[in-house]
Parts: sequence; C-alpha cells; structure tokens
Amino acid sequence: MTKPNTGELNPQESAASEIKSYATGFIVSLLLTVGAFAALLSDLPSTWKIVLICVAALLQIIVHMRNFLHLSFSGGQSREDLLLVLFSVCLLAIMAGGTWYIMSDLGGRMHQASGSDAAMPEAPTR
Amino acid sequence: MSGETSPIVGNLDWNVTPYTDLLKHVDSSTIVGAGAASVLVLGAIAGLVLFTYMRWWGPLYRNWLTSPDAKKIGIMYIALALVMLARGIIEGFVMRAHQAMALGTLAQKESGLVAPDHFAQLFSTHGTIMIFFVAMPLLIGLINFVLPQQLGARDMAFPVLNQVSLGLTAAGAGLIMISLLVGQFGTGGWTMYPPYTGKIFSPGEGVDYWLWAILISGMGSTLTGMNFAVTIFKERAPGMHLMRMPLFCWTSLCVAIMLIYAMPALTVSSVMLALDRYADFHFFTNAAGGNMMNYANIFWMFGHPEVYILILPAFGVFSEISSTYSGKRLYGYTSLVIASMSIAVISFTVWLHHFFTMGQSAGVNIAFGIATMIIGIPTGVKIYDWMATLWRGRVRITAPIVYLTGFFLLFVIGGLSGIILANPSIDYQVHNSTFLVAHFHNVIIPGVLYGMLAGIHYWFPKAFGFRLSETWGRRTALLFVGGFIFTFMPLYVLGLMGMPRRSPTFQNPDFMPWMYIAAFGGVLMLCALASLCWTFWTSYRNRRALAVPGGDPWNGSTLEWSTPAPVPEWTFPCIPRVKAREDWGETKRRGDPWRSPETYTDIEMPANTAHGLLIAGASFTLGFAMVWHIWWLAILGVLAIPGLVVLRGMRVIEPNIIPAAQVEEEDRRFRQQVASLPPATRADEETERNRGVPDLSEFAG
Repeated sequence: MTKPNTGELNPQESAASEIKSYATGFIVSLLLTVGAFAALLSDLPSTWKIVLICVAALLQIIVHMRNFLHLSFSGGQSREDLLLVLFSVCLLAIMAGGTWYIMSDLGGRMHQASGSDAAMPEAPTR
Repeated sequence: MSGETSPIVGNLDWNVTPYTDLLKHVDSSTIVGAGAASVLVLGAIAGLVLFTYMRWWGPLYRNWLTSPDAKKIGIMYIALALVMLARGIIEGFVMRAHQAMALGTLAQKESGLVAPDHFAQLFSTHGTIMIFFVAMPLLIGLINFVLPQQLGARDMAFPVLNQVSLGLTAAGAGLIMISLLVGQFGTGGWTMYPPYTGKIFSPGEGVDYWLWAILISGMGSTLTGMNFAVTIFKERAPGMHLMRMPLFCWTSLCVAIMLIYAMPALTVSSVMLALDRYADFHFFTNAAGGNMMNYANIFWMFGHPEVYILILPAFGVFSEISSTYSGKRLYGYTSLVIASMSIAVISFTVWLHHFFTMGQSAGVNIAFGIATMIIGIPTGVKIYDWMATLWRGRVRITAPIVYLTGFFLLFVIGGLSGIILANPSIDYQVHNSTFLVAHFHNVIIPGVLYGMLAGIHYWFPKAFGFRLSETWGRRTALLFVGGFIFTFMPLYVLGLMGMPRRSPTFQNPDFMPWMYIAAFGGVLMLCALASLCWTFWTSYRNRRALAVPGGDPWNGSTLEWSTPAPVPEWTFPCIPRVKAREDWGETKRRGDPWRSPETYTDIEMPANTAHGLLIAGASFTLGFAMVWHIWWLAILGVLAIPGLVVLRGMRVIEPNIIPAAQVEEEDRRFRQQVASLPPATRADEETERNRGVPDLSEFAG
C-alpha cells in the first residue's frame, strides 16, 4: 500500500504487510494495556507499580506513532517527523514536568509526602 | 426534579422549565428566566415560520448545511458565533443591571434583579458562551474562510472533517441554548472548579450541561486544529514558501498548533470531572486520594494557551488591515512571524498564573510570574510593528481602522494590567476581584472581538459580493469602544476598592456610582449589538450600491483579492504560482494583474454530504441524554457516531467535477467585467464608484 512518508502508492507491495503492521501494533498495545492493569492488581510495592505503568504508557505511545500513525525517521519526510516528535515531546515535557513541579510542591505544603491522606496538617513551624 | 430516575425520560419531568418556576413564585428573577426562555422559543418559532414561508429549507440544506466548502463552513461558524454573541451580550447587560440594583443592607442582604443562584447561572453561561461559542467559532470561521484563499488552495485538507467540526461545535452550542428552556445551567463559573461542581455540592443537571457542551465542542476544535495544520503544511500553492505566507496564515498556524496541544488538556480535565460525577471516581474529591487542585492545574494547561488561541487570529487580522488600509507593506514581517511563534510556545509555560493563590511556594509562583512577564515582550513587538506599518502611510479611516485604533489604545492598557497581575505579590491583593474581570475583558474585547469584527468587515465583500456600510461600521466600532470603556474601566476601580468578582450582592454604598457607570456601559454595548445587526441589514438593503464584483475593493496585496466577489466555489480557476510574498501586490506592480490563465482544467471539488449534520445530531442527542440520565438514548447516540463514520467509510464517494468549459466561461466573464469597470481611487473607496477594481497606479503596498 503506502510507503511510509512518500505518499506514493506501491501496488507491488501487498496490503498484507500493511495489515500485519496494524495487527502487530494492535496486539502489542493490547498487551501493554493488559500489562498495566496486571501491574496495578499485583502485589508489587506501589513505586514499582507506578514505574511499570509509566513505562507501559511510554511504550504504548511509541507503538501508536510507529504502527498506526506511520511516523518514520527514514524516508522523504523524516526531518518533518523528527521535528514533530521533538516539538511534541518538548510541550508534553513542559506540561508533565510542570504538573509534577506544581503538584509535588502543593503536596509538600499539605504534608502529603508520607502518603497518609488522613493526616491532619500541623501548624506551620516557620 | 423528582428523586427517581425514569428509565424512559431519565430525570426529565414537567418541573424543569423556567415557566414552572414562574408559576410557583413570581419575582423579577423568575420573570427574567421565563423571558429568556420565551425569547428562545419565540425566536425558534419565528425562524421556522420565516424559513418555511420563504421556502428556504431546501436551499439551506443543499447549499449550506451539507456543503463541505470551507468558505461556507466558515460563514456558518460566524453566523453561529453572532447568534451566541447576542445572547452573551444580553446576559452581560442583565448582570450589569442586576449589580446596579444589588446594594444590600444589613436587614435585607439580597436584592437586585435576579436571585443569587440565577446570577451564578448568568455569569457561568456568559463566560462559557463568550469563550467557547463566540470567540472560538468567530476565529475558526474566519480562518476557514480566509486561510485556503490566502494559501492559494481550493479547500481545507479534510473538507468533510471540517463539516464534522462545525457540527460538533453547533451541537455544543445547542446544548447551552436548550439549557435556557430545559433545566438549569451550572453555577460554578466558566471554569467549573471542583469540589463545588462535584456531585455532592452540585447534584443537578447544570454542571453536566457544561461538561457535555465542552466535551463535544472541544472535540470539534481539536479536529479543526489538525485540519488547519495539515492545510498549511500540505495545501499551499506552488511557490508559497512558509516565509511567503501572509501573516494571517502564520497566526493560523500558531492557532492550529495550540489547538492540537491545548484542547486535549480540557478534554482530559472534563472527562475526569465527568467520571467523578457519573461513575463515582475520586479524581477531584478529598476522599480516596483525590486532589481538586489538580483540576485547576489541568484546566489552565488548556486555559492559558486558549487565550492566545483567541488573540492570535486577531493579531493576524490587524497585520492584514494595517498594511492594506495604509497602502504600505507590512513592517517587520519576520519579527511578526517570530513573535507569533514565540507567543505560541511560551503560552504553554505560564498557566500557573491563573492560580497563584492556590497555596504553592513562592518559588513556584515566581517561576511562572517571570514566564508571564516574558510573554508580554513579543506582544509588545507586534504593537510597534503595526504602528510602524501605519507610520507615514495614507491611512483611510475605515471601520476596521477604527477597531484597530481602539485596539491600540485599550489592548495596551489591558496588557499592562496583565503585567501587573503577573506579579504574584500584587495578584494576592487583587485576585478574585473585579480588577481581574476588568483585565481579561480588557484583553478579550479590544483584542478578540474588535479583531474579529474588523476581519468580518474586511473580508465581508469577498464572501457576499457587497461591502458593509462604512458609516454604520464606524458607528458600531465606536459604540463597542465606548461601551467597553464605560463598562469595564469602572470595574478596575471597583476591584481596587475590594469588590469580589461574581458577587450577587454587596453592602458597600461607595460602589454604587461606579456600578451605575458600568450599567450605562452595558446599555452602550446593547446599542453596539443593535448597531452591528443594523449594519448587516442596511448593507444588505443597499447591496446594489455597495456591490464590488471586481473583487478587490481595498486595493489589497494578498492572493484572496485576485478572485471575484462573491468568490466562486472553486476559488481559483487555476491554482496560482506564487513568486513573491504578497503575490497579488507583486502582480499589480508588474501591471495587468487580471490576465486570464492559459489553460483551464476540470476542477475536482468534494461532493456535498449530510455526514457532518448527522454526526452533529448524534452528538447532541448523546449530550442531552447524558445530561438527563436517559441512558437508552445515550447508548444510541454513542453507537450512532462510530456507526456513521463506518458507514461513510464503506461507501465509494465520487467527487464533484466542475467541467473546464464552465470554469472558463465564468472566469472569462469575470475578467471582461473587470476590464469594463472603472478603476476606483482611494478617495473613492467608500463611494459607489468602488466596484472592486482599484486604481493600480495608487498601489504602493
């Protein structure tokens, strides 16, 4: 079908490889989703759970971009694709990092660092 | 509302309309509520009768609702926005009128035109409507109309997706409108912060109306952003390099980028709130580890880029009109491009300034405060560029230039009050006061509203073939300027005097003089709205005298002025080969710009389809059913949307082919007409002698 990033139709190449790519993507993303739920339901310590879910999420993004959105770093449009990915990563890093920065600061000031939600905030000692 | 949820009609019953409130209890508040619902009902009936009497249903369906033409979609977006603008301005006036009567005493704490709960609904709908259903459709409509023409393209990259986006926006607007008649709207302001908007404190349908209107129209806006970006990257005419694009296209690109990256944040925060409300999740409750502060965080991650989504197209419009009406080339093109792109990126780094007082450390506030002050720099660069463009030009004081002048004077004041608010220590003093209300109206009205109205005035002849009345255009512009000054300058004073925003009542008689001035400003805004309507009507009546078949009434220099007015469906008989920035101006300088192309070819245009209309119907049904917990209908709506997409995907759809002979005939007729029309000088621009063919010897731009 379509070669990545050229837009040219290649009738020689059968539709089978295209379908195979989609099917691989579908199965891998399904496994990653199930894996994330499995990690959540497992008996691992919660830090490990969070790490595993984050890794699964990042892999999920890569699978989607590669197999479903046909992003490729080789071919006629690789420079555009690279710029697009870098720009997206930059903005998402601002959003995710900013959230982390803000919410952890707020959490610290709410004395939530120990993870005990019910703990009453003590009077400020400053 | 009764306690039980019926399986058939959900939470709906006969007690949800404002008329039952009026029957139960007659006071000014229920009268206003029932009056608003009656306006909606009578307006709808009048519309139905008018369309039936004039036999407009067929043409409306065939030529407009099913058209995938980006120009028509743009016009429909703007029509939707103007209807919503009328409601938004009237609501604003009701709020001003209420507060002018809302002085309470110790004995009687509440007074005024409407009840406190009704007042809260008013400011919530006013904000939601003005941001999501006036400003957004205005700018998306204008970009839809102008962008392909300026790029030298015939249509958007995805015409049917464009239709779907319009449908989703209209479905959201429909939900907001129907909330006047069926049930109540939310009372949490346009941001709907939990925990107040959670199920415990807001159990009714109000917040759900907001959620579904936002989710549905937000989806449409995200899709529109993608459509714009792909159009700009892939559909430019040959030779139209990025650095040859008119500035309006550049700001559209910035808008597209921001829509793509910012709108999902709104969708995420709304989905999380919806899950809290419908499925007992705890994202934003204190119980079970939720944190309502994260709502403010995610919401404003969208919300701040949003304000630049609103303002950047206006900056694009001002770049175009400052150049055209002063007869000069745009000053500092490259700096304007860099400034626009800087704004687009920096706008993603400042969102915390909307909640400086939420309780984070001073260090966090300082970081975002500095980022906020930095974003003022590129905006300042732009103001200087436009002033330098006007400098020593032969400026014609047309309606858009009146808007531009109002923008210069007022937007700078609004921007400066923004820089003041960017300082966290000052923000602690004035946050949540009417100082803030004055600030954001001061950037949104002179920025977005003036920019969009100036743009409508500027490109109106391209859409309908006749100019708008300059006299009435200038009157409208002056009324909007005066209305703004009288309504919102007093709010700065009131804010510094300590008046909280959104307060339905107050006990300080010192506020009253300023309240009266603001209420007078509200009257002026109503007059401006009436004057705007009259401008369209009187121009329509005089359309023969105002007709500009030559298509270039302002002696412009960008590609869209090379085509007839009204512009045909295919826009360009032959896709232009662009050789310079402001290519049409370059062609004028070389002489004989209206040469016909050598050959004509068949033109392929997307065929009409009802796809967008059906998706809009399904998503409106889904939204309404979810609001009223009519589960069977919601399931039908959810299934209908993917079903419609699959159905369309399985059909072979032939494009609409316009034969070369027809294109040639119409194009030759246009070129003969241009040759026969007398050229109009700048001095004649506002007179009947302006037939859309400018005097090329005067072109200097």
